Amino acid sequence: MDTIAMPLAEAPGGDGGFIRVRNARKVYATGDKSVEALSDVSFDVARGEFVAILGPSGCGKSTLLMMCGGLETSTGGAIEVAGSPMAGPRTSIGIMFQDPTLLPWKTVLQNVMFPAHILRRRDVKYSDRAHRLIDMVGLHGFENKRPHELSGGMRQRVAICRALLNDPDILLMDEPFSALDAITRDEMNEALLDIWRSYAKTALFVTHSIREAVLLADRVLVMTRRPATVVADIRVPFGRPRDMSVAETPEFAKLCAQLRGMIEHGTGKPARRPGDGPVLQPGRLGGEE
Amino acid sequence: MTGGRQTGRHERLLAFALPVATAIVVALVWQATVTLADIREILLPTPGAIAENLARTLPSLLNQALVTGREALAGFALAVVAGFIGAAAISSSKLLREIFYPAIVAMQLIPKVALAPLFLVFLGIGAEARITFAALLSFFPVLISTAVGLHNTDLTAVRLCRSLGASGWQIFWSVRVPFALPAFFSGARISSTMAVTGVVIAEFISSTDGLGFVIVDQGAHARTAAVFAAITVLCALGLALYGVVAGIEKLSVRWYRG
Repeated sequence: MDTIAMPLAEAPGGDGGFIRVRNARKVYATGDKSVEALSDVSFDVARGEFVAILGPSGCGKSTLLMMCGGLETSTGGAIEVAGSPMAGPRTSIGIMFQDPTLLPWKTVLQNVMFPAHILRRRDVKYSDRAHRLIDMVGLHGFENKRPHELSGGMRQRVAICRALLNDPDILLMDEPFSALDAITRDEMNEALLDIWRSYAKTALFVTHSIREAVLLADRVLVMTRRPATVVADIRVPFGRPRDMSVAETPEFAKLCAQLRGMIEHGTGKPARRPGDGPVLQPGRLGGEE
Repeated sequence: MTGGRQTGRHERLLAFALPVATAIVVALVWQATVTLADIREILLPTPGAIAENLARTLPSLLNQALVTGREALAGFALAVVAGFIGAAAISSSKLLREIFYPAIVAMQLIPKVALAPLFLVFLGIGAEARITFAALLSFFPVLISTAVGLHNTDLTAVRLCRSLGASGWQIFWSVRVPFALPAFFSGARISSTMAVTGVVIAEFISSTDGLGFVIVDQGAHARTAAVFAAITVLCALGLALYGVVAGIEKLSVRWYRG
């Protein structure tokens, strides 16, 4: 029993996905050469579902995420969010980048309030919400600190708060913890699981860490290079609320091994002998970029 | 660790004392050389003679410095505004960049001092010509550093703004400009010295007052000590303007970093 389908808090609404990606393609034309960053990707994400997109560096997974966020156009196919085609960025979608991207001249609170500043909404509702989010991620007392006074993990916590300020329906995360050390990364994964306990939103989470994907997601989409496409769609058999202890279970290790095999072979089929001699470091795929 | 703090204080004291000591030594060697070698004052006056002249003519020199300073400040202000707007324009449009950037680089290579007489031909011998020439000299450092600063804005920050639905105008003011501030100020600091240089050059060519005029006029009468006195005041003026800009820069960096 490698993968068991588990009922989700909110079951996927049949074929009416909240995020629908159909035959999405992305070709970058540089001079007279064109590079296919993404070829023919299709998947659905149900409302309230946490989906990880797992793949090696350079497989186009970040491009795919940015297309879902309206920050990249697609060369072909269709991307629909909440029933309407993506035409550009939407305030109902929060995005976290690999870099926390905090503005160095703003305090923690001002950084969290930045979306309200851009939307010219400076009412109490937003500042109340900002304070609650800051408390939730454990940064109470740091409201007036500047980003350079915070650790890497704390900066990403601020970025989470900022992404959640508008109360988005969807949170897109582009390898948000990949620049952190392993210990801080675990802490951030735990923090994210905590947030999900009270705050479950639809989420797309791009990562190249198998462990992270299995730990956080309800479903893992496996992407490969050449062709840059989704080769497997694996349901994660751990329910919610979830905590770090699932990582200690044999099922967890088994699922990780299975996914590792898929990526190594670049196919949707499990490796011949899942779990044997990993060529790549456990929990890691390829090098950090 | 008081030892560490003490070393810090020592270092700061040394950083202040060493240049002062160097200046004193240079002045003493100068004084001794001129006296011992019996160099005529018309060729090289002693520091003592210069100081004496400076003390005697200071009120009138300060009046002249006011004239030069006012024009330098006007030229500098023009350059900062024009440089900032120019940088904003070329960093926001690829077309404008391709049209103007080669010309800007080419202008950097021209010895712009050679253009000074033309400005007097175009704009007359009044303050307008001197201010405009000072602005021309000090325009390029602001333009180029600010353009580089705006261009090097954190791209993810721009993406973040776009994801929040920010307009181009909002992105420019709330992200690009703050990110470019350090580069802007390093350009402005250089520009401030250029502005003084520009006014003085223009005064050399055609003027009836200002420190540049004093230097040329006294030089023509071989009053070398008076020339040195005027140069001293000119140095102080340049330093003052530079100091003000550096001070504002320091404040802005403190704001930027917290």
